Amino acid sequence: MVLVLFTITAVAALLVGLVNNLTYNTILETELANKAKAKLEVLPAFEGTPTYEEVSCSINDGSLNINITKVMDGNGELVGYAVEAPSITKNGYADRIYLMVGFVESAEGTIINGVKVLSQKETPGLGANMVVAGNSLERSVVGQNPATMVFSVKKDDASGSFDALTGSTISSRAYANAVESAYAGYLWAKYALPKSGDAKSGATKSANEDAMSGATKNTDTESGATLNEDGTSGATLTNEYNEQEPEAQKGEISNE
Amino acid sequence: MSKLQLITKGILKENPTFVLILGMCPTLGVTSTAINGMGMGVATMAVLIMSNMVISLIKNLIPDKVRIPAFIVVIASFVTIIEMLMKAYVPALYASLGVFIPLIVVNCIILGRAEAFASKNGVVDSALDGIGIGLGFTLSLTVVGSVREILGAGAIFGYSFASDVMPLVFVLAPGGFLALGYLMVLFNKIAKRK
Repeated sequence: MVLVLFTITAVAALLVGLVNNLTYNTILETELANKAKAKLEVLPAFEGTPTYEEVSCSINDGSLNINITKVMDGNGELVGYAVEAPSITKNGYADRIYLMVGFVESAEGTIINGVKVLSQKETPGLGANMVVAGNSLERSVVGQNPATMVFSVKKDDASGSFDALTGSTISSRAYANAVESAYAGYLWAKYALPKSGDAKSGATKSANEDAMSGATKNTDTESGATLNEDGTSGATLTNEYNEQEPEAQKGEISNE
Repeated sequence: MSKLQLITKGILKENPTFVLILGMCPTLGVTSTAINGMGMGVATMAVLIMSNMVISLIKNLIPDKVRIPAFIVVIASFVTIIEMLMKAYVPALYASLGVFIPLIVVNCIILGRAEAFASKNGVVDSALDGIGIGLGFTLSLTVVGSVREILGAGAIFGYSFASDVMPLVFVLAPGGFLALGYLMVLFNKIAKRK
């Protein structure tokens, strides 16, 4: 009896392990391909082969990352920034929400060109509607200047910029939070990183603080800059640049 | 019982949702729209057919006392394997059905059929039973999902016709119970008359 049960579980474990080995790389490749596709989808169309410069910024001691990619077109002209960011302080109904947000720079300032949901585990038919093209959350963000946005849901805060999905306020709050993280990451990459080969740490640090305070109206001079106004909730965007060797970064974004 | 009857009984006489009242958790959880109900139904049917066949094959090897844990292990491994394979080779399908796959493990229809049918019948009959019950479950979930989507969101299969005037409560959990209850009454009334 024990032997039969043991055999069945052993065979089952072996099969599951085998399939996991078989599929693991393919799954990772698919995820990477999706991310690469999302990067281009959140930015305007352009000609030629794109070139990328990537940096990432870790939060919560490295358990979360905001990945910022500067995308250039075939002629080396800047198209925009694609920022992959999680909802840092607010979970959705089930888990964190990961977004890819595209920022472009125009004469009127920075504009959010597009948003794609990379991963979410919200309730099908309610919160999961955030992946549907043209939903109310996407409409509240696309074409807006993030500098003038208020990253909260209209239901909680009359001045908020986000129209919540029907029946899904919690998911909508997490979405707003992820857009805010993406914007903070964008500002960090754009202003805080030094020009290539020029790393006067004092100048870098103050630039970082300026950038962050612009993003969140909140500056904490001791720990770098808190990403959210309720910095006590544990999500602090530390100034990774000063602690990290430049070699550790995937690439360098020059200061425009 | 003829082979055809094995299939049709799952749709009418032993309809898992409306008559056997099995698998209520996924039924209420995912039927907020018609397409979600259908997706859950199809994914469950796939697992049900395969687990029924495997359990029917190994039924004589399993001692009576440990049959439930053995069945659960078989079902859970199947679900995990299917999830990984879908994620790797049909990512588009996984994107639309993925959320339902882990839920299938806790669906008592599958264990119920393993226990009540597959452990006593041959491989072919068990596969047919899986198809029948699976079809019954898929149709029921599609009906419940359609009713809730029409009443709650003013849409059917995503095509919206009266989006803002319908009571949202039907998409939320309380409306799920209401819709399911009334549909059960209706189904059994019609089924009895026959």
